[in-house]
Amino acid sequence: APGAARLPLSALAHPTPVTADQIEHLHRRFKQLSNDKPTIRKEHFDSIPDLEFNPIRCKIVQAFFDRRNLRQEEDGLADEINFEDFLTIMSYFRPIEPNMDEEQLQRFRTDKIKFLFHMYDADHDGIITLQEYRNVVEQLLSGNPHLEKGAARSIADGAMLEAAQTCVGPMGPNQVYEGITFDDFLKIWRGIDIETKMHVRFLNMEPIAHCC
Amino acid sequence: PAGSELLRWQWREVQVPCLVAAWILVASLAKIVFHLSRKVTSVVPESCLLILLGLGLGGIVLAVAKKAEYQLEPNMFFLFLLPPIVLDSGYFMPSRLFFDNIGAILTYAVVGTLWNSFATGMALWGLHRAGLMDPGVKAELMDFLLFGSLISAVDPVAVLAVFEEVHVNETLFIIVFGESLLNDAVTVVLYKVFNSFVELGPAHIHAMDYVKGVVSFFLVSLGGTAVGLLFAFLLALITRFTKRVRIIEPLFVFLLAYVAYLAAEMVSLSSILAVTFCGICCKKYVEANISQKSRTTVKYTMKTLASSSETIIFMFLGISAVDTSKWAWDTTLVLGTLLFILLFRAVGVVLQTCVLNRFRLIPLDRIDQVVMSYGGLRGAVAFALVILLDGAKVKAKDYFVATTIVVVFFTVIVQGLTIKPLVTWLKVKRSDHHKPTLNEELHEHAFDHILAAVEDIVGHHGYHYWRDKWEQFDKKYLSQLLMRKSAYRLRDEIWDVYYKLNIRDAISFVDQGGHVLSAAKLALPSMPSRTSMSESSVTNLLRESGSGACLDLQVIDTVRSRRDKEDAVMHHVLRGSLYKPRRRYKASYSRHFISPDKQERQDKEVFRQNMKRRLETFKSTKHNVCSSKSKARLKEKGRKKATSSSLMGAGPSRVSSQGAPFSNHPSQHLAAAPVLVMVSSDEEESNSSETEREDDEGIVFIARATDEVLQGKKTPESNIPLTVLLSAFPGSLDVCPSPCIIPPSPTLAEKELPWKGDQADLAVYVSSETTKIVPVDMQKAWNQSISSLESIGSPPGIETGPQHKRFTCPVLEEHPQSASQAMPEQSSCFQFPSHVSKSSRSHSDSSPDGIEQQELQPLMAAEELSRIVSPAEPRWLIQFNRASHL
Repeated sequence: APGAARLPLSALAHPTPVTADQIEHLHRRFKQLSNDKPTIRKEHFDSIPDLEFNPIRCKIVQAFFDRRNLRQEEDGLADEINFEDFLTIMSYFRPIEPNMDEEQLQRFRTDKIKFLFHMYDADHDGIITLQEYRNVVEQLLSGNPHLEKGAARSIADGAMLEAAQTCVGPMGPNQVYEGITFDDFLKIWRGIDIETKMHVRFLNMEPIAHCC
Repeated sequence: PAGSELLRWQWREVQVPCLVAAWILVASLAKIVFHLSRKVTSVVPESCLLILLGLGLGGIVLAVAKKAEYQLEPNMFFLFLLPPIVLDSGYFMPSRLFFDNIGAILTYAVVGTLWNSFATGMALWGLHRAGLMDPGVKAELMDFLLFGSLISAVDPVAVLAVFEEVHVNETLFIIVFGESLLNDAVTVVLYKVFNSFVELGPAHIHAMDYVKGVVSFFLVSLGGTAVGLLFAFLLALITRFTKRVRIIEPLFVFLLAYVAYLAAEMVSLSSILAVTFCGICCKKYVEANISQKSRTTVKYTMKTLASSSETIIFMFLGISAVDTSKWAWDTTLVLGTLLFILLFRAVGVVLQTCVLNRFRLIPLDRIDQVVMSYGGLRGAVAFALVILLDGAKVKAKDYFVATTIVVVFFTVIVQGLTIKPLVTWLKVKRSDHHKPTLNEELHEHAFDHILAAVEDIVGHHGYHYWRDKWEQFDKKYLSQLLMRKSAYRLRDEIWDVYYKLNIRDAISFVDQGGHVLSAAKLALPSMPSRTSMSESSVTNLLRESGSGACLDLQVIDTVRSRRDKEDAVMHHVLRGSLYKPRRRYKASYSRHFISPDKQERQDKEVFRQNMKRRLETFKSTKHNVCSSKSKARLKEKGRKKATSSSLMGAGPSRVSSQGAPFSNHPSQHLAAAPVLVMVSSDEEESNSSETEREDDEGIVFIARATDEVLQGKKTPESNIPLTVLLSAFPGSLDVCPSPCIIPPSPTLAEKELPWKGDQADLAVYVSSETTKIVPVDMQKAWNQSISSLESIGSPPGIETGPQHKRFTCPVLEEHPQSASQAMPEQSSCFQFPSHVSKSSRSHSDSSPDGIEQQELQPLMAAEELSRIVSPAEPRWLIQFNRASHL
């Protein structure tokens, strides 16, 4: 695979990268998306037809350009990402490896949850505020035109209350719950096996020949 | 002696149903006895106990009658006992889980069953050839294959009975159980093919017959599934139109599912598959269409039927075993079969899992495989099939019957008894039975979208991709076609969870007696953060609880004397806490409609009172009160409303964090308790009167200190959603303000202290007339009259109030001081808020930022929040009607 061969694999510093075969597939797809350019910009994602109907697509696309997810030093959003970054993002969706030990598993899990957390935390301040949460819920529910915005909002409020309850417990009358911090987020996720859910199978990938 | 008889013994006429009833009664009573001891049932599965009971009863019958009278008739089993169980398991199958694991389930069901049948049959034949069996067993290869096919299928009834008590994790359960359901197709086909081969005799079998066998497999399985899907579609479609005949809604579910079963059976397709898929697929739509009561009925009836069928099946298995005339014992055959089915099951599972794990995202580990192998229970299906064999054609039938009985007993009793300790010993991941939280549901939902998106981006059309596509298709076409408009509109998973959680909260609150919270802790407006958030969620809830509920209410607060205040408090306390007789109900009997009985009504009343008391805790004297009224048919919404109050009050259970987004003053917050009127926005339902009148609860009138309490009631005849007292809707045209605004504008004192005013005036407030809907053609005139009045009645100061920018929030809005001062003067000429709303709308249109700002205000600094507002400030309570947007 000529494309894959000259790839710097340093982006995949974590224990189990995707296999060379999969990287090749991804690279092909990457080039397809970027029209053979070395980097991808946000607009390129607009050309994916199936993504159009996704209610939270802008959040997802944004996650690809989020520097926090790209393991870069500075904060904020990147304008364009290269293939390395693309792979880094994709590596969040790796399936669980059978030979992982407890510690690796924990980190693996935390990484995945962090990715999600960043998605919710739009202003990068480490806290999901009510407003941010509402935005996400509104987008999530935007697929159903019959639910009003108010519904989304009260659902978000309810969820926030619930989060406050699970994370802080009963609060004193003057206590204010600022928002969901990452630690709180971890607590919320305790009930869900994220490692068994957040993955996309890269095996046997057939790049679609005529996409875009 | 001839002549007329006074009484006649008619045993013969009633014999059959009487016996059936007696057996069911015995079995049910036995169940009660078993469950008297928790110790016994926690160790021994019920199915074992029932089989043992059956053995005992069979023994008694045998001893008394000298011959075995009763046994499990295959016809009865397949036509009456099996369908309820299959329907129950299909209907309540967690469909998401099922389809997530469909690959594994299908593999185990098809490949696994084929392997088991052939391996077992061949191995037994090998034993026979080796001369280890009794020469009495006259059987050829085909006979053994036939026997293998019937003995190798894992039985859904047995699996369900045992696994339900074991509580292994969901994935494991769904795989074993799904397999047991879906392998029916394979079993049926193999059984029929081999049966015909045996009947033909080995000499007459041609190559063509093998091909036919393979083809018939696809025909039987796919055909059965297709029949199921067809009937699921029909069922969903029918329930869309049952609105006026609610009482027979549940019947359709059972009837169509049963017809699906019979139809599949009739054309010898897989009937189990048909019912399973009918249940799985129709559930979503049916549940959305039928009423809450019907849903409960369906659930309970289904569970009752399935449970009784299961009971009878196991008991009759025991009874049948006593009938020794059908037995012919051969130790080698029995032991060989037992050994082979266990062995081959284990081998098959291990081999298949090996292959499957390469594709599965969550591999099945070794422990899972052990449980899967060990959980392969055989049951009544095998027994019924073996009884069905033709003794003339299959010479070794008696041997097979004996072996089958032993195998069934062994798997159900020995494996059933030991699987629980085994699961504990192996530390199999158990299912955790926590209810989904709202956050989890939201995240899971987001997840689905994220994964689908990533698959899109990667260009990999995987599972998530197709699921996403299917959901879009479902949303676009199927749901619209199969769901009622009203149901479809509100259909959303997140919403459902939210709704359920709220109800749960409300119920748990009521269970606690409704007064857990001390007033000291919550009553005073000195706790901005927490109450304000509670309030926010309450108001939110109220607003959208909407989805239908809305009332626009203007409340004018004025300064009044202390004396007046006390009077008001007293009055309202009395008003609020006395049980008020509701509108009288017709004491009628109707076969077609269920009217809520007295108890239920009283419960509702208590519930409502509880909630009100709860709400009251939050109010200082000058606060408006939330009193709401809903028709019972909108019970859900009403309950949600109630929930909201519980949310508000349930300090410990739901804690708030952020300030309320609706009002920028905490004390006002506390004050804000919108009067809520439940409204149906559902045109589909609105014109039905007869049924729903039954549920009508009349009017609640509950006053609170210093409030005007406004009640609205929607008359069943009306097509237009009910609107609001004392205030017009924010400008929307299809909303018609209630006519009671026109009548004499009450003086302030009258409003404050309604009893001081003219009684007739008061009646205006409470009577249902006040809220009667203005017909469409009157709307125009009404609007005109409003606008004309508007010009007279509105003080210019109001327009300048910054708080008027919002109109969508069902909260009271405050007026700045200037506005409040303007108020008293004009109170004599009635105040119409509609213009305010209108102006606020224009404001809001022009300055969306202002809205945002306001919404966020509670999140802002506390000092800003604690600004004290004079109690004289008029407050506006504005809610919007969802219906007005439709």
